[in-house]
Amino acid sequence: MGKIVYAAAMSHVLAPDYYGKNVGPHGRKMVEELIDVVRDMGRTMLAARPDALVVIADDHLNVFSFDAVPAMCVRIGRFVERMVQADAIEFDRALDGLPERYPLHEDLANRILERGLEDGFDFAASWSAPLDHAFLSPVSTLCGDRPAPPLVPFWVNCFVAPLPMARRCFAAGRHIARVVADGPWDVAVIATGGLSHFPELSLARVGTSDPVFDRRIVRLLEAGDHEALCALTTKELHESGSHELLNWMVLIGAVSPARAAVRFFGEMGRIDLAAMEWSVR
Amino acid sequence: MSRYDVNVILYKLKKDAAFRTRFQVSPRAVLAGADLSDEEVEAFVRWDTRRLNELGGSLHLLVSIPHLGGH
Repeated sequence: MGKIVYAAAMSHVLAPDYYGKNVGPHGRKMVEELIDVVRDMGRTMLAARPDALVVIADDHLNVFSFDAVPAMCVRIGRFVERMVQADAIEFDRALDGLPERYPLHEDLANRILERGLEDGFDFAASWSAPLDHAFLSPVSTLCGDRPAPPLVPFWVNCFVAPLPMARRCFAAGRHIARVVADGPWDVAVIATGGLSHFPELSLARVGTSDPVFDRRIVRLLEAGDHEALCALTTKELHESGSHELLNWMVLIGAVSPARAAVRFFGEMGRIDLAAMEWSVR
Repeated sequence: MSRYDVNVILYKLKKDAAFRTRFQVSPRAVLAGADLSDEEVEAFVRWDTRRLNELGGSLHLLVSIPHLGGH
C-alpha cells in the first residue's frame, strides 16, 4: 500500500535578484531566508526517500496558449524538459544552468490520469509541456545538487478565467491521495505559488499584496479548517491576488485532515511569501 | 469582445521573435486583419500596457514579453 511520505507548499519565485530589483534589499533578504527554509525542507523530503514527487503548480502562459487552457492537466511520458525561452523574464532566466531534462514517474502519472476518468476527473494530458519556474524553482531548491525524484507535474489553471473552484481542486487532491493509497509507491507532494500578489491580475496593482487575507489563510491552514478553505470563492481569490492558492487546495485535499505547520511567513509588500509542511507520516 | 485576439497577439509577441520585430517596426501592419476594436488597436500601437490589461490582456503575458514587458 502506498503512502504520501512528505507534503509541503511554498512560494515559487525563489529568485533573490528578482526581488532585489523589484522590491529592494528587504525583498532580497526575505526571499533568501525563505530559500534557506526550503533547502532544509528538501533535506526532510529526500530523507523520506520518495519514489515520486508530485508537483502541483500553474502555467504563466508559458506552456498553454489561449487556444486551449486545461483546468487541470497531468504531464505524462517518460521525461519532461525545462522550459527554454530566448529573452525570458528574470525568474525564468534563473533556471538557466539547471538540467534540461527530468525523469517522470510514468506509472503514477498514468494512474492519476486514468483512474481520474473512472472517478469523475477528466484531467487533460500533455506529452510535451515543459516546466517553468513554478515547478523547477522549488524542485531545484528542495533538491540542490541531489537528483530530484521522478516527477509527476500537475497543472492547475490559476489565471485564465474561468478558473476551477477551490472545492474542486480540493477534490482533485483527494483523488490523488486515493491513487497513492492504492498504489505501491511512497510519494512526496508539493504545491507551489502564492501567497497573495497581483490582485485582480491588474497591472495597476502590481506591487501590492493582501496580508490580511493571507494571515487568515495561514490561520485556517494551521487549524486544518479545510471546509472554510473549500468555501473560498473565485472572487475572493481574484480580488486578493490569491489565484495560486488553487494549487495549494489540491495539496490540502491530498493530505486532509492534516494541519499545516508554518515554516516561513513573510509580508514583503509586493507578495507575501510562505512555506509550510504537513505531518503525514 | 475580442479578448481572445488581444491575448493571441500578446502570446505571439512573447513567443515569436520575428513577429515581435515586425510589430516593433510596423505595429499597424501587423495588427491588420486581427479581430480588434479601434481602441484595442490604438492600445497596441501606443504600447499602453495598462490599457491592454484593462481591455482583457493577460497580466502574465504583458509582463513577460521580451523587450516590451517587465514589471
